[in-house]
Amino acid sequence: MESAVAAIFEILSFGAIIILVVLGLGIIASMMGIFNFAHGEFVLLGAYTVYLFYGWGLPIALGMVAAPFVVGGLGLVLERTIIKRFYAAPVVAMLGTYALGVIIRESVRGLIGGLYHAVPEPLIGSIDFAGVHFSRWRLAIIVITILVMIGSQMLLKRTSFGLRVRAALENPALARASGISTDAIYAVTFAFGAALAGLAGALVVPVFSLFADLGLRFLIQGFLAVMLGGVGTFEGPVAGAGVVGVVSAALPWAVAPVLADVLVFVLAIIFIKFRPGGLLAGRSI
Amino acid sequence: MTDQRNDAAWATSRRRFLQNTAATAGAVATGVGNWIMRPNWANAAAEPIKVGIATDLTGAIGFAGNADANVARMLIKDLNDQGGLLGRPLELYIEDTASNESVAVTNVRKLIQRDKVDVVLGGITSSMRNAIKDTIVKRGKTLYIYPQLYEGQECETDIFCTGPTPAQQCDTFIPWLIKNGGKRFALPSANYVWPHLLNAYARKVIEANGGEVIFEEYYPLDQVEYSATVNKIMTEKVDVVFNTVIPPGVGPFFKQLYEAGFSKRGGRLSCVYYDENALNINAPHEIEGLASCLDYFRVLTKTDPVSARIQAEYDKEFPGNILFAAGAAATGMYRGIVLWAAAVKEANSVERAAVAAALDHAKIAEGPGGPAEMVPGKRHCKMKMYTAVAKSGNYDIVEASSGLVDPKEC
Amino acid sequence: MDDKVAVAPRITEPLEILKARKGIERRPILPIIELSVLVLFAVLPLIVADYLTVFFTRVLILSLLAISFDLVWGYAGILSFGQALFYGTAAYSVALMARDLGITSIFIVLPAALLIGLVLSYLIACFLLLGRRQPTVIFVALGTLTGAYAADRLARGWYYLGGQNGIPSIPQMTLGSYEFDQGSVYYYLAFVMLVVVYAGCRFLVRSQFGLALAGIREQEARISFFGYKVQTIKTIVFSLAGAIAGLAGGLYAFHEGFVWPNMLGVILSTQVVLYTLFGGVGTLIGAVIGVIAIEVMSYILADNYQQIWPILLGVLLLAVIMLRPTGLVSLIVSERERIGDFEPSRGRRARWRWGR
Repeated sequence: MESAVAAIFEILSFGAIIILVVLGLGIIASMMGIFNFAHGEFVLLGAYTVYLFYGWGLPIALGMVAAPFVVGGLGLVLERTIIKRFYAAPVVAMLGTYALGVIIRESVRGLIGGLYHAVPEPLIGSIDFAGVHFSRWRLAIIVITILVMIGSQMLLKRTSFGLRVRAALENPALARASGISTDAIYAVTFAFGAALAGLAGALVVPVFSLFADLGLRFLIQGFLAVMLGGVGTFEGPVAGAGVVGVVSAALPWAVAPVLADVLVFVLAIIFIKFRPGGLLAGRSI
Repeated sequence: MTDQRNDAAWATSRRRFLQNTAATAGAVATGVGNWIMRPNWANAAAEPIKVGIATDLTGAIGFAGNADANVARMLIKDLNDQGGLLGRPLELYIEDTASNESVAVTNVRKLIQRDKVDVVLGGITSSMRNAIKDTIVKRGKTLYIYPQLYEGQECETDIFCTGPTPAQQCDTFIPWLIKNGGKRFALPSANYVWPHLLNAYARKVIEANGGEVIFEEYYPLDQVEYSATVNKIMTEKVDVVFNTVIPPGVGPFFKQLYEAGFSKRGGRLSCVYYDENALNINAPHEIEGLASCLDYFRVLTKTDPVSARIQAEYDKEFPGNILFAAGAAATGMYRGIVLWAAAVKEANSVERAAVAAALDHAKIAEGPGGPAEMVPGKRHCKMKMYTAVAKSGNYDIVEASSGLVDPKEC
Repeated sequence: MDDKVAVAPRITEPLEILKARKGIERRPILPIIELSVLVLFAVLPLIVADYLTVFFTRVLILSLLAISFDLVWGYAGILSFGQALFYGTAAYSVALMARDLGITSIFIVLPAALLIGLVLSYLIACFLLLGRRQPTVIFVALGTLTGAYAADRLARGWYYLGGQNGIPSIPQMTLGSYEFDQGSVYYYLAFVMLVVVYAGCRFLVRSQFGLALAGIREQEARISFFGYKVQTIKTIVFSLAGAIAGLAGGLYAFHEGFVWPNMLGVILSTQVVLYTLFGGVGTLIGAVIGVIAIEVMSYILADNYQQIWPILLGVLLLAVIMLRPTGLVSLIVSERERIGDFEPSRGRRARWRWGR
């Protein structure tokens, strides 16, 4: 019984982590139709920001608050200079962001010396409940993920800003004719996606420690999650990420881990084949 | 757009493009060189001896490769300062294997075919060694020295290994673990060759010493979620975790293990590749009491003057975060170069067969961690092994082998 | 000089149809480029050092792989991130054949590599491309990516295949009693293979079949209304490309004497896409030029900037992708010469989104 509860908690927390990482990727893919191959590196930059704060002796929680802004700002700059040239050709966008990802990743590798660095979590220790240990920080990640999801959802569906974003998404020409600056919308959306990635990196770095390939590790699972969940909606990638995260964490309890690894992907692809729209068939936001 | 470009501009850009191509082609055809460090006393008459280092300067293994390259630079400079070998200056050629086997082979070919080095030292992962060894040994007919701790079973002629083998890491370590941990062992491992072979050997030693292997499991290399494993360790009341999970998984794994209360109830963590570099992966309280068995630890500088001298010289020349550590093959590289130099002196030539014959039984009295000796006919190296325990983020030596430990290979 | 004279030739050949439609004729540059590359490769071993010949043999083999990708993407519009899957599988298969069965004869291993690539890609094409509904571009991309990723993980985990260490020390390919060693001989072998494959592909894409391919790439719905079986054509092209990739894998295995999981994986697949896009999609020779450019750049950068060359390579790639998304070839060749324009204009952006 205890191990079942512990298992469920661990699985949920890993699912939450994947959702957090994929959120930004999904938003950018849905809004602008480009798969950002550098998304993993934005996660890395969020983690790196927290590491810097830690190295300068500043409180880590502060670093975690700062990370989304730092990475979002960088995302804004990159969008204005580089990414906007790719909107016409999504394939070129993939490759361009891939090259960008290489640059960021290798630069960070050089800066941290290619090693692994531990960053302590802001909430140390665990809560003992019914004989099971619940890591405080992982609990915090689950809570924050839920809050972020709800917040983003409300931002997109309940605010006038969200309305403009949806307008620009559905019919760019009409939106422009109505006086909405699609350029600005795209820039802000990309920055928002990047900021979410930065937040994800900042929150998970105490769990996984900082290393240069941190982003790469999540990239493929991220794409799978977005595809599985369905592009074009907000809920789609979230659902996909949830499923991928939960299944990845749960399968090793049942089958040999090596098999579980490949199985997640194969199952996902078979699922997509028979339901191409994904879990939540693509509707606009 | 292209249509509107007029002929003149188009022709100019095409001409420039072709010019650049020609220049590049010229440079490529002659081969841009990258040799380093010729001592200024070298006179034109004495033909230099060329040492080739093929290691990962970039990529995921870069932190270790750079340490190895630094050790080589330090030693070649020392040798040159002492007058070179056989009266000839030493030239160092360093090529990047880039943690990428495909790139590695191309770059190693440069060492063999363009620079025509007399010996190659390098490779860190076994897959890298496998990728480059044919180019060096079979096609290049050059001596190859492999410096990293590994799974053993590399018995090809002209390949000499100067890093610890499973026997060296288990023979003294596991009895200590049974005495200071318990009899119930778990072997969580990364799924590649080194853990498979290491575990096979470890299992023999564990069972021979009265211990028991509760489970042996293999995980994909980048798995970062270990709740199932941790749960098994806790419910089966495992005493000693003999871990071969590697980064990036090892950090989260140890953290989850700590959070589940493994060390609190007396469990012992152990990991034989854990050196000073790895200490940074987890917070100190998470790995308190972790035991490792390597040929060198930095804390030896307090008790061994030779180690202190070597470490001090390295730190002075290469301050920063590229550490001289045993898990990064730096000690094996040191041993390899010094043993090779001794063999060259004995053979009085750099010709491969002669040096190989001398290297077969080469000995050095001073090395990091202690003296070292090649086992004749086996091409592996005897060395002193130390068991250390992590306390507050630093190592304490708890046991040293009484003499040189046999590698038991080939 | 004004050569904007509208010529009205007998409109039979697809290229001429396009030229006539645009109303402007220019001296075709593409064949000149192809010929120069051919001549350059033919004489290369005679002018460079031996170790560079070995380096360029690798370039030739990778060009085969890049051409296989250009065929599916540049001509049929299938974004396959899995060419490395066929390449790697064929390489592993011939390596196993050589290691366990002792088969190294060139008459068996190269056709075997070709066949393995063909069969595997056919199976994958059946799964991904056929079916009641038209698969989206991104589904195929992700499907092939997953295939490559799964194969990579499988190879890494399977001890029989050597796990992460791969299969080292593969015996050399033989022709009777002659062993193919690295050097000029293997270079010319790869060169002949490349020329044959290239000629075959070029013939294919300039034929009626190629015109249908171009139609599929540009406007799939319209072409299917004309009665062309789009799925069948796509499967044929995909299988052909898989066969070529398999051949490249077989050549590589015996040249390097070593196969390992990265040959199957996502990184190489992405690298192949990069080669082709860098050089110029839809021109066949662009793929070859892309390989040459990136490999030579990596070589030079690694030599001179040992510590930071990956960053510099990334910067260079980004620069070219940003400034010349159509690839290096378009520096010299006008867009009309490539079979069809391959940059969808903003108006067609809707079609490029992830739905149909």
